[in-house]
Amino acid sequence: MLDLFTIFTKGGIVLWCFRNINEPFAPSINALIKNILMQERGGSNSYEHNNLTLQYKLDNEFELIFVVAFQKILQLAYIDKFLSDIHLEFRDKYKNELTSQGREFYNFNLSDEFKRILKEAEAWGQVQKSIPRTMRTFDESHKSKKTVDSMIVRKSGDDKSNVNTNKKSVKIVETEKVNAKNDDYDDINGNADNEIALARKKLADKFTKKSPADKKKSPKSSSSSEKKKKTDRVWELNGNSKDAITLDRSKDRPEDIKSDFTHLDKMVGQSIGNIKDIEIEEESSEEEDSDEYEEKETKSQAKKASRSGGMLSMFKGLVGSKSITIEDMQPALDKLRDHLIAKNVATDISQKLCASVAAKLEGKVLGTFDTIAATVKTTLNDSLVQILSPKRRIDILRDCLEAKRNNRPYVMTFCGVNGVGKSTNLAKICFWLIENNFNVLIAACDTFRAGAVEQLRTHTRHLNALHPKEKHGGREMVELYEKGYGKDAAGIAMEAIRYAKEAGIDVVLVDTAGRMQDNEPLMRALAKLIKINEPDLVLFVGEALVGNEAVDQLVKFNQALADHSSMENPHVIDGIVLTKFDTIDDKVGAAISMTYITGQPIVFVGTGQTYTDLKALNARAVVHALMK
Amino acid sequence: MDKETRKEPIRLSEINFTPILIAFAVVFLTLVIIYLIKKRSPRRTDILLAGLCDSGKTLLYSLLLNGNEVETFTSLKENCGIFQIEDSKSLRIVDLPGHERLRLRLLENYKNSTKAIIYVVDSTTVQKEIRDVADFLYTLLADKALSSLNVLILCNKQDETMAKGKQVVEQLLEKEINVIRKTRTSQLQSVDNSSDKTMYLGKSDKDFDFSQISQKISFAESSAKNKDIEQIISFIKAL
Repeated sequence: MLDLFTIFTKGGIVLWCFRNINEPFAPSINALIKNILMQERGGSNSYEHNNLTLQYKLDNEFELIFVVAFQKILQLAYIDKFLSDIHLEFRDKYKNELTSQGREFYNFNLSDEFKRILKEAEAWGQVQKSIPRTMRTFDESHKSKKTVDSMIVRKSGDDKSNVNTNKKSVKIVETEKVNAKNDDYDDINGNADNEIALARKKLADKFTKKSPADKKKSPKSSSSSEKKKKTDRVWELNGNSKDAITLDRSKDRPEDIKSDFTHLDKMVGQSIGNIKDIEIEEESSEEEDSDEYEEKETKSQAKKASRSGGMLSMFKGLVGSKSITIEDMQPALDKLRDHLIAKNVATDISQKLCASVAAKLEGKVLGTFDTIAATVKTTLNDSLVQILSPKRRIDILRDCLEAKRNNRPYVMTFCGVNGVGKSTNLAKICFWLIENNFNVLIAACDTFRAGAVEQLRTHTRHLNALHPKEKHGGREMVELYEKGYGKDAAGIAMEAIRYAKEAGIDVVLVDTAGRMQDNEPLMRALAKLIKINEPDLVLFVGEALVGNEAVDQLVKFNQALADHSSMENPHVIDGIVLTKFDTIDDKVGAAISMTYITGQPIVFVGTGQTYTDLKALNARAVVHALMK
Repeated sequence: MDKETRKEPIRLSEINFTPILIAFAVVFLTLVIIYLIKKRSPRRTDILLAGLCDSGKTLLYSLLLNGNEVETFTSLKENCGIFQIEDSKSLRIVDLPGHERLRLRLLENYKNSTKAIIYVVDSTTVQKEIRDVADFLYTLLADKALSSLNVLILCNKQDETMAKGKQVVEQLLEKEINVIRKTRTSQLQSVDNSSDKTMYLGKSDKDFDFSQISQKISFAESSAKNKDIEQIISFIKAL
């Protein structure tokens, strides 16, 4: 029944393998590794690829992976049991070999055990199938596991943490009770009150501490442009037919064509108005965090570990060690999950991340001086860095050059919901491309929102003023391709691309109308635009302010692009522009949510109002801000 | 009870200070020694096997260390093993995973102890994937911690019919790095402000070629499948 069973190390070297049919399995297993294990989706343990179902089990102590593959149509109920049985058998049999150096090359032989265990598991599966399904007893149900406490809905996180601190102090009181049996009760009560007061004070400190950080944000130093003279205010709804000419913005008037900017302005080619460092007083906050678990852990662990290692780390090898179980990790995981949610990571994604960390750590042997909290935290940290690191090369300039060499324009499409900053960031990206000596055609495919075309026209004018023809050998650097309102966006984009190809323009930026992810006709239109024009890069523009909504937006956009394209391999979102990053201080969770869902990199980050406020993402800095 | 435990008043002049002083001296010396050991920069003893996914790094690693062929999948972690050179000298071989998500994070752990890099290139797909191949190589060469090393660019999979020879690979890489060094230096600044601009490799007034950089670059061909790895072994022995 099984097509393949294999044991390999996390380094990728196969230790033992059983195969039923001669078929290359490597692509399926590599896909499993790349799509599940590397993307921190380790929560569930099965994966489907082509017509195979793969199930795996991790051994974190010896860093092994056990994989079973079988045909997708089969419903095998005994795989879980089989995997854990053979896992135990393998560990018992080769306990010594697995810890030795050069274990990759030891000649493991498991065929007898494999046959026996498989037979047993199959028999077990038969028995299970024949047993009529009984109803679950109350004890087995999920409801029985819930405590009364958890069913009470609390108003906010504030309340919750208050309760937590109270609980903690109660615990301390209990331990004190044991220690100080002879003291009279009044004294203990006094102590308890003190403890609670202390905890409250600490909590209050924690909340007030955040405010100075907020205050630090000072307004950006923007470019000093000349102040214009005040003109008479014309009230919009007050005019008569005479004013119609002055109010019509759809045609350029001579005074509009003059841009406020000139290329002599200081702004050209400079980065002013950078966002503030995501620099944190690391020690203080981390210490505070860890205090809370460590007090809980003192029962099981006598000594407080020095986090940085230092001298004690020398003795790590000498003292006994223990392996971690899920129960041990649970308090730390719960706390980290709440922390992630507080930092604006979508709820179910923080849950999945914690599940994946748990799967990664279960059974791992811990040194005596490592606390569970610290280990879980560093593992999560690594996982987050891994999620944010792009899974493919991002070098748009290089790809533009490549397209130029093939005599075709490089096409980027921007999509997203309303008001996230598609046009604004398109203009910034345009500025960056011009600075790198590419000429750009902006296709105004937002044919719906009033003023969308005018907005782009204004940007074009400014950008051309900043980079006049004379500086670029007589080439017009930015052009706008517009066809007015109410037309078919896909058609305009196609004409724009054709025009760009004939005129020898390097890059085409396609601005689309903002759309709600649930609006089916509009999503269909977007899918059509992408299907017809086949852009090189489809960028999803999302704001950093969203929380749980980020998941819904991205999933639905991706789904719509896949569903409506009616192609074998639809072109889905392949990059993210994260906007309004300067407004969120340290609540950078949206970056994690978005990259986790799509697995696509964040290509640009918008950090302000000027053309130069466009940045690339630094994974470590973001994770640092997230975990502090 | 009280009478027995009561002690004579201690006079300062009667205390023998020598043992205390010795104790202090010993503690002080140990601290100094530990400090010196910690401070001493790590010796460079690692040979990194780097390259893209599916270029054959793990197979080469197993051939070098054990001499036999094993089946391999995509690596999730690095493999480390000691490679014995005849005269009781030994070097550690580190097989870095090639996947983009992992390689830079894991490279951080090893780059200060690296003695030489073997950059493995899949000669059959090099033309198609030249942008990725050159990009990672550029990252390695532009790293300040990895300057002035020996780098062997190994054109693997020579057993395949479509495999490119080492001269072709060299030309392709030089041409590509010539482009990359321009696009890399005009990359956007990163959000945390601290990013150091990536190094510009080679001389800016001339086309890039491998002799312009601080690392010593050599090229070799191999076929891990046919166990043809003599050129690697001679490279390692020459270190």
